[in-house]
Amino acid sequence: MKRKSLLLIMVMIATMVLSACGGKDSSESAASGAEGGQSKQKVKLSILAWNNESEMKPVLEGFQKKYPHISFDFQFAPPVKDYISKLQTMLLSDSATDIFMIAAENRNEIIDGGHAIDLTDYPFMDVMLDSNKPMLSKDGRTYAFTQNGWVGGWFYNKALFEKAGITELPETWDEFIAVCLKLKEAGIVPIYDTMQDLTQIHSALYGNMVLSQDPDFDEKIFAGEKTFADGWTEVFKVWKRDLIDTKILTSDMIGLTGDQVESEFALGNVAMFFSGPWVMDKLTQVPDLDFGVMGLPGFEKGQSYYVGAPGVGFAVNSKTKNKEEALLFLEYLSSEEGLQLFHEGTNLIITAKGFEAEVHPALQNAYEEGLMQGRIYLPMVTWPRYQEALRNQFVVSTQDMAVGKITPEEAVQAIDKKFIEMENY
Amino acid sequence: MGKFMRQLQYQVFLIPILIIYTLFTIYPLIRSFMLSLTNFNGYSKNYDFIGLKNYVRLFADNAIVSGISFTILFALATTVLVTLLAIPLALILDQNFFSKNVLRAVFFFPSIPSGLLLAFIWGFIFAPIPSGILNTFLRESFGMSAQPWLSDPVLAKISTIVVAVWATTGWHAVIYLAFLQSISKDFFEAAAIDGASKWQQIRYITIPLLAPAMTVSVLLLITNGLKVYEIPFALTNGGPGFETHTITQVIVLRGISEAQFGLASAISVIFFLIVLVIGFVQFSLMQKREERMQ
Repeated sequence: MKRKSLLLIMVMIATMVLSACGGKDSSESAASGAEGGQSKQKVKLSILAWNNESEMKPVLEGFQKKYPHISFDFQFAPPVKDYISKLQTMLLSDSATDIFMIAAENRNEIIDGGHAIDLTDYPFMDVMLDSNKPMLSKDGRTYAFTQNGWVGGWFYNKALFEKAGITELPETWDEFIAVCLKLKEAGIVPIYDTMQDLTQIHSALYGNMVLSQDPDFDEKIFAGEKTFADGWTEVFKVWKRDLIDTKILTSDMIGLTGDQVESEFALGNVAMFFSGPWVMDKLTQVPDLDFGVMGLPGFEKGQSYYVGAPGVGFAVNSKTKNKEEALLFLEYLSSEEGLQLFHEGTNLIITAKGFEAEVHPALQNAYEEGLMQGRIYLPMVTWPRYQEALRNQFVVSTQDMAVGKITPEEAVQAIDKKFIEMENY
Repeated sequence: MGKFMRQLQYQVFLIPILIIYTLFTIYPLIRSFMLSLTNFNGYSKNYDFIGLKNYVRLFADNAIVSGISFTILFALATTVLVTLLAIPLALILDQNFFSKNVLRAVFFFPSIPSGLLLAFIWGFIFAPIPSGILNTFLRESFGMSAQPWLSDPVLAKISTIVVAVWATTGWHAVIYLAFLQSISKDFFEAAAIDGASKWQQIRYITIPLLAPAMTVSVLLLITNGLKVYEIPFALTNGGPGFETHTITQVIVLRGISEAQFGLASAISVIFFLIVLVIGFVQFSLMQKREERMQ
């Protein structure tokens, strides 16, 4: 009996070993039909992205059609925290995918850690807009390829505006506040803001109040020439005075989720909320919802600011064994066909050179006035260091200000303190 | 075979689990302590030894101080409330009535889905807007105005604790129920013959004999309460401000989001020690109480 069991186990082990060898052989066997008629080794390219598989499907299929010897092991992690933590774990354990995405939130750590190949001199990088490069670069070298950008603004419900007797869109900050108060008087919630992130109102206000005067202000903060207090105190004061003290924004909004805000807007329960291109599909499917998108007006006419940034970029793992194929994929992404298929799948705004972007009509102004004229701001993109630490501190400071726990001055002091703490780490 | 060899024969079977335990528990603990003495950022393998700097920083970090205080409050509140609710619930479910099995399943059900899912559902119930389910109910039934369940510093803490109590009471009632069913009916019959009332039977027979169950239940509640993450994170994201931050959330925040892995490791080490001390003290006290009551 013992002998029979032993024999059985040995046969099983031998079968497993042989089948594993067989698998390897077949995966590495020559494949015919590759481009140029040359037979090429089969390769499985692994990708970690924060666009899900259905969004990436058109471009992956297009690539596979062109290069049949390359297949994909596609992995998805939702943005932002989940994606960052998954990638971090993979990089630390040397199990990262051949291609992964670099975002504003993790670019320093990835570039400084030497995890991504320097892509600066590859020909396909010519397609990338110069304005998209700084977010994915360090010391003038670029480590990821992005072909898209996003711009978001304040979505407004035209019917609710009409109901409150608002016939024209606000063109100045004071008019914007007057519109909010008019909506409030008419019994309509003017605007929802979850305050769960560095708020977009803050970002656009900072754009209007500080960056319009001095576009290099963020650089000066990180060079030690200015402090956050120098730039942000007035922004926080205006926000608190005009939105919190007037109860246009209330602290109970902190408990809302982004999904709840979206659905409240779709149901016509709130007149305005901030969002971007990603919400278009959902909103356009809501019957009878007539909406537009506007920027946050500045103190003078024609000074609207939007929130936006280059899209996350595709990087090649510096430890990949499939460097050639990974670069081939990036090259394909930059081709006209690749750009079109990526746009079809993701619906993102393509900002590559020589590609005419299609934008939803409601976002046309945001695209033209904001994205193309550079009147967009997202702090995490221009901050060169500690994006997440500072962002978290901004969120906490904003919430504490909203519940009346601290003043705008104390809020900014906390941010400066966090910055110094990080500098000394 | 000598006594030593006989014992050794049994110890051999412990080797696989000892290896696994060392690999996945002891080694990470030691590694965490080592990293807590460095400025490791979680990405680059080049880091410096910085001594106890991370430990000094712990006490100046508002998030950590808030995290510790809310976590301890959460652990204590859930332990007391769940224990106070689970024992009576178990006593009721132990009775012989028509729908007892269905009710046991109903009360046990909230402990099955993940905390994240439960918190997501409760997020809709607590939605602070006028159309939130709870606010709508309160307005229509009592004419109350909308309450900021998840954004007021006090209400957010209460809401988080309520959801955790709701989710775990049924599970702990099952622990008590299992012990209740092991108590011999003879005790109660003898007490009844001696003229003891129902309350006296509970007070002098049931409660003392439930002492071992209470030791297990309270230990689980305390340790799970101290390492809570999902429910507060999904309900309030730690807000407003740092009000409902838990220690585990601070560890993730500092380590993963902010790339201060060394600091996060230092928090983990301190957290481990806190849980170890509280767990040890609680277990010793409960065991002594158990011995005293029995």
